[in-house]
Amino acid sequence: MTLERNILLALLAGAALLPFAVSDQYILHLAIMALFYAVLASSLNLVVGYVGEFSLGHTAFLGTGAYTAALLSTQAGMPMWVTIPLAGLVSAVFGFAIGAITLRLQGPYFVIVTLSFAEVLRIIANNWIAVTNGPMGLAGVGQNLFGDVAVTDKAGFFLIVLGIAAVALYLSYRFVYSNAGRAAVAVRENRYVAQSIGVDPFGTAMQAFVLGAFLAGLAGGFYAHYISFVGPEVFRFAFMATMIIMVLLGGKGTLIGPLAGAVIVTVLEEYLREMQELRLTLFGLIVMAIVLFLPNGLMGFIAQRREQQAAKPTLNAAKERTV
Amino acid sequence: MDLFPQFLANGLVMGVFYALSALGLTLIFGLMRVVNFAHGEFYMLGGVSGWFVTNYLGLDFFSGLIVVAAFMAAVGWLVDRFLIERVRGQGEEPGILLTIGLSIFLVNGTLLLVGPAPMKVAGAVAEGPLFFGPIAVTKLRLLAVAVGIALIVGAHLLIRRTRLGAAMRATFQDPMAASLAGIRTGHVYAATFALGCTLAALSGMLLASIYSAQASVGGLISLKSFVVVILGGMGSFAGAIAGGLLLGVAEAMWGGYVSMGMVDVIGFVLVILILLFRPQGLFSIRTERA
Repeated sequence: MTLERNILLALLAGAALLPFAVSDQYILHLAIMALFYAVLASSLNLVVGYVGEFSLGHTAFLGTGAYTAALLSTQAGMPMWVTIPLAGLVSAVFGFAIGAITLRLQGPYFVIVTLSFAEVLRIIANNWIAVTNGPMGLAGVGQNLFGDVAVTDKAGFFLIVLGIAAVALYLSYRFVYSNAGRAAVAVRENRYVAQSIGVDPFGTAMQAFVLGAFLAGLAGGFYAHYISFVGPEVFRFAFMATMIIMVLLGGKGTLIGPLAGAVIVTVLEEYLREMQELRLTLFGLIVMAIVLFLPNGLMGFIAQRREQQAAKPTLNAAKERTV
Repeated sequence: MDLFPQFLANGLVMGVFYALSALGLTLIFGLMRVVNFAHGEFYMLGGVSGWFVTNYLGLDFFSGLIVVAAFMAAVGWLVDRFLIERVRGQGEEPGILLTIGLSIFLVNGTLLLVGPAPMKVAGAVAEGPLFFGPIAVTKLRLLAVAVGIALIVGAHLLIRRTRLGAAMRATFQDPMAASLAGIRTGHVYAATFALGCTLAALSGMLLASIYSAQASVGGLISLKSFVVVILGGMGSFAGAIAGGLLLGVAEAMWGGYVSMGMVDVIGFVLVILILLFRPQGLFSIRTERA
């Protein structure tokens, strides 16, 4: 617990120095996208890793946040410090409504019904032209932070997304190590035992779900301002697939895992870009390889190695004694 | 009101293909419990390989259909033996991720090999409408529907009347007891997966003879097949057929009377309502709750 906290603090401090050390715009862009995905993956991890249900509809909250921020900015001209928190709040409200329906279901039913909600929102975004401008999307989302102060360079955006990531990790950390978080883990491990000692599975799952939706909404709001364009593709399954791969590659149910997954996948996708058309084909193969050979993600792999290391000396000592 | 019978006929035609594809998924998802996101890609591969055998190898439609069925059964068998088998019994998550990876691989591999252009499977009969009172249906559609229905009946007979079908039913009732009775359950799982994969592929090839096959079509088909399986009830054969027809007709009515753009939303709204009010599906015999 303290190790995890210290690693997270060290990572955040190291990341805060990055824009002063690196001036390459391309690397900064990659770092921004990695942090954006880190927030998304952490928010999905709250549902997948701590509630233990597999949500495929997390793009619903990303998209809601992105459209909220884009609409507030283009229609009302609001600056970022208003739109991004509001994007999170609107997503949290959606999370509450969708969670109230979907969290009654489990297993494959939960998977399909969350996916259905994301698809319904995508189709609405694609067809409700009066508000969302349909497939053309909302372009020209403003980039002003307070009033007329605009963020002009990548370093500024990096610090903003770092701030959002810090908030996301702080809230996740507080949730995971609170009574509610421990209750959620108890439900994940054994629903009936948890119920028998008075844990309300629906209530704890709801807290994690709404918090996840809030964080995904923040990420979506940031995305709208950074890219300066929002279209129905924010609801697409491709985003969802990327998020899942990050969470499971890093290791679900840990706070550091999704961060590591986000960084690795962002860099890997960029690196594979050199392969041109082969890129996504290889990506698919890599995903399959991860499931088959790294079933608990990187953090699971590291934990396993540490256990083996710890077990070795005692094993050797036992051998010597028998000799 | 005058167009109503025509919409109904169009909906039923589409429904037969939804049903055929969903029958494949009800075996894989409903019985084997693999949340198979590559199902639409099997459908797509059926269309693309159908195009390949009819246009490049110059086979006629029916021998092409047999070649595609054999090929896709082999693909399904291999996918199960080499991929799905390794995550069996570990819950849904590894299966979901594995099939997402597989579908990314299949879509982009296909795009790489044949490109994004639509591909037309050479049909068995000439285009040309037939009129039944107020309804117009092309001969091609009528033939494809007839073949689709024949395949559904064939699959039903396979499951109900053959030794393999009996082994399947035994395995999905109780895998432990089945293997104690000498059934090689590993083979049964692979055969079930191969059958599901083949049904999706043949649905894809039949529909590609009416419209055309495209490498990127799979995602939506996967989702619609899931919708149909949940509408009909997990693992229910009759339910998948009824659910498919229901979805086809509902989409045709909505497209005809309300709006064409939102047509794909119907399935998802239906599935949300079903899971809220009747989670065991419309036609499920077992009262398995979500």
